[in-house]
Amino acid sequence: MPTLTQQQFDPVSAWARYEPDARRPWNFALAGHLYRRAAFGATWDQLQRAFRDGPQRTVDGLLRPSADVAAFNRQYDELETPANDENSSNDLRAWWLQRMIRTPHPLLEKMTLFWHGHFGVNAAKVNSARATQQHLQLLRKHALGNFREMLAGIVRDAAMFLSLDAKANRRALPNEDLARWLMETFTLGPGRFSERDVRETARAFSGWFVLQNQIRFIERERDSETKRILGQEGRFTSDDVARILAEQPATSQTIIRKVYRWLISETAEPDDRLLAPLAESFARKQDVLQLVETMLRSNLFFSAAAYRQRMKSPVEFSLGIVKGLEEAVSTPPLAEALARLGQNLLHPPTARGWLGGQNWINHATLAGRHNLAAALLKSDGVFGGKLNPAAVAGKHDSGARFFLDLFLQGDAEPSSASDAGADARRSAYAAITLPEFQLA
Amino acid sequence: MTQTRRSFIQTALKAGAFVSFAANAPISLLRAATAAPQRERDTVLVVLQLSGGNDGLNTVIPFADDAYHRGRPTLRQMARGAHKLDSHLAFHPRMEGFYRLYRDGLLTIVQGVGYPDMDRNHPGGMHNWHTANPRSPKTQTGWLGRAADRLWKPGEANVPAMFVGAIPQPFASNAEQVVVPSVRSPREIVSQSLPSAERDAPAKLNQSWLDSLRRATAEVQANNRRIESATSTSVRADYPQLLLAEELRATAHLIRADLGVRIFFTELGGGNIGGFDNHAGQLGNHCSLAHQLSESVAAFIRDLQRDKLHERVLLMTFSEFGRSVHENGRRGTDHGAAQPVFLAGGRLKGGLCGAHPSLTDLDKDGLKFHTDFRRVYATALDRWLGLDSRGVLGAPFEPLDVFKA
Repeated sequence: MPTLTQQQFDPVSAWARYEPDARRPWNFALAGHLYRRAAFGATWDQLQRAFRDGPQRTVDGLLRPSADVAAFNRQYDELETPANDENSSNDLRAWWLQRMIRTPHPLLEKMTLFWHGHFGVNAAKVNSARATQQHLQLLRKHALGNFREMLAGIVRDAAMFLSLDAKANRRALPNEDLARWLMETFTLGPGRFSERDVRETARAFSGWFVLQNQIRFIERERDSETKRILGQEGRFTSDDVARILAEQPATSQTIIRKVYRWLISETAEPDDRLLAPLAESFARKQDVLQLVETMLRSNLFFSAAAYRQRMKSPVEFSLGIVKGLEEAVSTPPLAEALARLGQNLLHPPTARGWLGGQNWINHATLAGRHNLAAALLKSDGVFGGKLNPAAVAGKHDSGARFFLDLFLQGDAEPSSASDAGADARRSAYAAITLPEFQLA
Repeated sequence: MTQTRRSFIQTALKAGAFVSFAANAPISLLRAATAAPQRERDTVLVVLQLSGGNDGLNTVIPFADDAYHRGRPTLRQMARGAHKLDSHLAFHPRMEGFYRLYRDGLLTIVQGVGYPDMDRNHPGGMHNWHTANPRSPKTQTGWLGRAADRLWKPGEANVPAMFVGAIPQPFASNAEQVVVPSVRSPREIVSQSLPSAERDAPAKLNQSWLDSLRRATAEVQANNRRIESATSTSVRADYPQLLLAEELRATAHLIRADLGVRIFFTELGGGNIGGFDNHAGQLGNHCSLAHQLSESVAAFIRDLQRDKLHERVLLMTFSEFGRSVHENGRRGTDHGAAQPVFLAGGRLKGGLCGAHPSLTDLDKDGLKFHTDFRRVYATALDRWLGLDSRGVLGAPFEPLDVFKA
């Protein structure tokens, strides 16, 4: 993987606000780019408004929408609440997709999806729809909040313990797996801690149990002795561990690099110097919103180093179509279809989540994406014929290029013969099966 | 809307400074590149899971051993009717297909396969065979998934491994990196016609992954045609009307289409409770499963034999455990330990590999193993797929000497 160095960008100007000028004009393509990364795609009207408002005002609206987001989320929390604990987590998957489509705050869901991949909780292992829902709510609550607080919630989250086979943490039998996952994958990264740190961290978790899918602390199993973790010494509890880990510079490196891959680029690995300005402030405050805001407003974000430099996940691929065509679709079959493409929501393959990038693409998943695109556009079938390309094109102007403009903002040319004069479904299908459309 | 879309787009679409017009390889060139099959010599592994714990003793029957007849007063199979392999062993009477494969040197029986302190619960036992790591039940990937991850190269779109069947994918193929698709029929990976794939327009985007995406899109189209053209051969083949036979027919079809898939994974028994798990009234049920196994696999190998594809294919079976030597008073058997693993394919030496375990020197009424199951896996990984089995299995295991030189 190529490394992005300061030869292309000096760190200060990379993270400075993008202000369009004659050399780097604000255009329709960049508006589409912003909506692919900070949301799940855009409608035609959203692209037009973004073009008129300019980048910074559009980012304002994506970061802090004026709509009553809390009320919307309360309503969905209620709708998705499982009637009983045995209810399948499949309903939760479908409600989540519905939320992603309809939310007035798509960036919040986008970052909730990011954290879901980061902590990699698998509902099949949790085996409790309620605990899974509570986990998802925890992620959403802190998705654009404070990472230290999120981690404090994670170390008391029943789903997390269940997913990592760590439901009993006895003093006599400390659970090193949990400690190892926490340090290696969720915070510090590999090679940034010793085996002793793992053992001592595991001891700090003794006393925590999951009983009937609820987290419980059992006092007599507590290890109240002194522990030494990452050079600090004390009678540490799991809450202390969360605080210590969240404040490590290595943790802020891990998180920043991962958010960089999520929002900016999967094709090139940034060097430490480029990330230094972000790392410093994240290590101090663990403020996710500020990190995301800096990235989304930056020169780097609106540059060639970011543009189309990610592979769309199955969620991004399918919702990009749905959003562009301005309707919601039935999400239980969509969740199933996404699972077949390798992104079974709430069931990531391992606790490392989905690795993304080119891992998404093989002959079967690519054919599967084409077939899902066709199924979404069909006038009947499992998706109920909700999407109507002809109506959308007619509403805005039905030129032959409309769907290339809507979905690709000019990144591909229409082919000579086949697209011209074709009906709307066919033109839409032609646009969303272009290789270019797989890139976010 | 006061502004027309067209005039709007003319201002809005003005390309940014960074949009490159570098010409990529036109699709027509890619089409030529993918037309010829390049994978003719690639080996293919087919792994067949027998869910529920197969009764090895009533599959490969030690008819000459008194202990067998003593242990199985109602379930035993008599020598008469069974297909004798030698003076001690015979295949179940309904397993003629396996017998013929064995006679023709296309089937090897690896006897006494297991591991220390075998887990005799279904989920735990199966999980061990899936992870290939009995000491670490929390292992997050399956051995076939890890093999698939190693077969995959970034930017290449070949599917390294595929599950064929309708049940949820068993854990063995859980991979960290690659997406292992589940298909019921080859139709499912044929994509709808792509108007866009016929485009020869040069790419407007400067993006390092776009070339591989364009190539992959062209390959999907080429694969459509390959699957199409393999259909007639595969449809004509003679398979019995059994679920496993249909899944293996689909597998043969996909192998024949030469898509570059190196690992196929399929299942007999339903994947859940039931299947080979016969604690009561075992006779009829096991008989029909043994028959389905034997006749489906035989039809598969015979089908591949017609165009010599069987020389590129190794099929191996596994089950979570064998069964108790003594029947349990309800005309069934309970969870046991060691079991035979069946290998089928055109490059095998054939015959028996390892001795039949003793029926009197037992481990809690289960047969004692002498061949660790990971030696069978290492054989498939090292000697067949050409992978480093140590990387996949996490430790060195000595492969078995089962292939012709």
